[in-house]
Amino acid sequence: MSEMWINMGPQHPMTHGLWNLRVRIDGEIILGVDPEMGYLHRGIEKISEVRHYNEVITLMDRTCYVAGMSWEHLFVLAAEEALHVEPPERARWIRTMSDEFQRIASHIMWYAAFVQDIGLMSPFLYGMRDRDLVLDLFQSYTGGRLTYEYMRVGGVRNDLPPGFTGRARKLLDWLEARFKEYDDLCLGSDIFHKRCDGLGVLSADDCEALGVTGPMLRSAGVARDLRKDRPYSAYADVEFDVATAKAADVTARYLVRLEELRQSVRIIRQTLDWLDRHPGPVLADHLPRWLGAPYAPIGNEAYLLKRSYPKGRGFSTIEEPHGEAQAYVVNEGGEHPYRVKFRSPVFANVSAAHKYLVGYRIADIPPIMGSVDICVGEVDR
Amino acid sequence: MLTLFDVAVVLATGLLAVLGFLVPPAHDGLLQPWVVTALASLLFAAILLGASMINTIMLIWFERKLLGRFMDRRGAMHVGFAGLLQNFADGLKLFRKHTFKPREADGLGYYTGPTAYMVTSVVLFGILPISSGWNAGSLPLSLLLALVVFSFAPLFIFISAWSSNNKYSLIGGMRSAAQMIAYEVPILLAVVAVVVISGSFDLGQIVTAQQNYWYWGPLFLALVVFVAGMLAEMERIPFDLPEAEAELVEGWNTEYGGMLFAFFMLADYVRALVGSILVVLLFLGGWTLPSYVPSALTSFPLAGIFWFMVKTYLVFGLFVWIRAALPRVRTDQLLRVGWMRMIPLSLLSVVLAAVVVVARCLPLFGCVPPLGG
Repeated sequence: MSEMWINMGPQHPMTHGLWNLRVRIDGEIILGVDPEMGYLHRGIEKISEVRHYNEVITLMDRTCYVAGMSWEHLFVLAAEEALHVEPPERARWIRTMSDEFQRIASHIMWYAAFVQDIGLMSPFLYGMRDRDLVLDLFQSYTGGRLTYEYMRVGGVRNDLPPGFTGRARKLLDWLEARFKEYDDLCLGSDIFHKRCDGLGVLSADDCEALGVTGPMLRSAGVARDLRKDRPYSAYADVEFDVATAKAADVTARYLVRLEELRQSVRIIRQTLDWLDRHPGPVLADHLPRWLGAPYAPIGNEAYLLKRSYPKGRGFSTIEEPHGEAQAYVVNEGGEHPYRVKFRSPVFANVSAAHKYLVGYRIADIPPIMGSVDICVGEVDR
Repeated sequence: MLTLFDVAVVLATGLLAVLGFLVPPAHDGLLQPWVVTALASLLFAAILLGASMINTIMLIWFERKLLGRFMDRRGAMHVGFAGLLQNFADGLKLFRKHTFKPREADGLGYYTGPTAYMVTSVVLFGILPISSGWNAGSLPLSLLLALVVFSFAPLFIFISAWSSNNKYSLIGGMRSAAQMIAYEVPILLAVVAVVVISGSFDLGQIVTAQQNYWYWGPLFLALVVFVAGMLAEMERIPFDLPEAEAELVEGWNTEYGGMLFAFFMLADYVRALVGSILVVLLFLGGWTLPSYVPSALTSFPLAGIFWFMVKTYLVFGLFVWIRAALPRVRTDQLLRVGWMRMIPLSLLSVVLAAVVVVARCLPLFGCVPPLGG
């Protein structure tokens, strides 16, 4: 059979979002791939220039719709540096905890989508069920299930409600038992290994050359995790191990993510203990007034001229569930950031597709792309 | 013993008598034997179609509920009691949809493919007995005929896939043809084992031959091969790669919608039902129960059909269980398993069947050799 191009997307069950993987095939063998992104571009970086700092947080939730909390965290870290604001200690720990819960929700979402890609129906629904419980917990202290708008420049919006830590601990116990179930359903199945072992190999050198980060990098045996290497918030004070695997294939990425789930549970347990013992404020005092009151008074354009706040630049980089996200915020004074730039880890991970797809079969595309864990909102921004 | 055809004859006679009563001059002409037989045949076909369709739709309901339980949810709940009417509603919705053809598709193949697939699947119900006497006609080679009709499917799937003029359809159609043809062979060999041990190609006689012991015991290997092969023939998970939705959208029926899609969907479940029925007939004693079962369980009216349906749904439940628990394999892996594992295993099961036949005739068991020696 002669070569042909297939458009896998923009509407295709494999894509889990809105993007297009153009594949050149000969029979069932992949000869070349060409990922096309940009279908979901909303200009978040540009919109941010005309938003107050705390309004950008709303956009951050929409950047990655399965890891909103992590992106909020990323932005507030950069904005705090640019605005010279220091969050209180308790807010740091709440952020760390929220980040890890978000990692759990995101990884479980990944698990559900991934097993669906290889045809496992039941674990998909088990994953969605367990993720819902994490979202319930988010709802109990932020009011939102996907778009939280919880973090603020200078802290977090509100303190945890009474009884929260008890509920969280109960949920962690439940989740830990489920993680074992996930492993039984996948690693315990011969067909799973037949489908995933040795697929989509991306070596550590290639990862480094192409800027691939996150679980994909760690599955190649590189123990690089920003929570350890460049600790932010309270990560320097918690104990955890960096999950790594050697094989650099789909199974290795599965193993890394499942281990990260367990490590997240471990981190959250420590943060809950700390939060139980250290009550306190969660939002910094003496914030500039406009950080607390996001809407400008209509008819009074003089607020635009308020340039008294010191200028500054902020850079932050965090270990987002998908990889290393970065934010750069330029503060030229005033209530809006002058310029905001984000680095999406998934964009780099997907752009390396030709390295880990060529030579495999069409049937391998769903597991391989599934193991990348694509969040199109964050790729296109 | 009452057969389905007798029921049809009684109905036809009744209908014609009523018609003759209403139109007196036609009375004598209407009640001639050939008219009765002709109408009875039509009624018979209609009953068969209706019963098989209702059964198929109930099978879908059964699968949805069972899958729901496996997945920690409840399945269809809202239309009818416990969602019993959900699939009828779905079917009606598809029925009301506009039937269309993509501009680039080839009309002849596009329309005949699903129709022929549907027809050849439903025809199978005319061949399979569901209780003693409850079939269209007992043919001496009914097993062979059933398998022949069953194996038409790849042809029609490939025709509809190719004529849809879509890359996903084409890939799905090729996968489907390759997989079905690869698994015909082990299925046939597994069936040969049954034929060797029962000495007949007649499904009715195969069931009768299982009075003393059902064949799943001595022919367990053949049963495993047969069930695995049937999974591939039905294109169900783990062997549903011709329509693997993650990579091929919907495989060979990507371009189909409305009633033509309903044909595919229904025919798939008809084939699933037929597969389960074949397992019951060949390996699980058909409509009979073991002799140690109290006779109260087997003597009520239509007991044969009742137990037959119970067994069929249990076998189908096994298929659903497999679907809930296993991921999908890859085409090359599937074909490798088919050619390199299934065929040797099925050959082995034929040998085992021959051993059973010979052992049965050892003087120890007090049997006379059947070859007239």
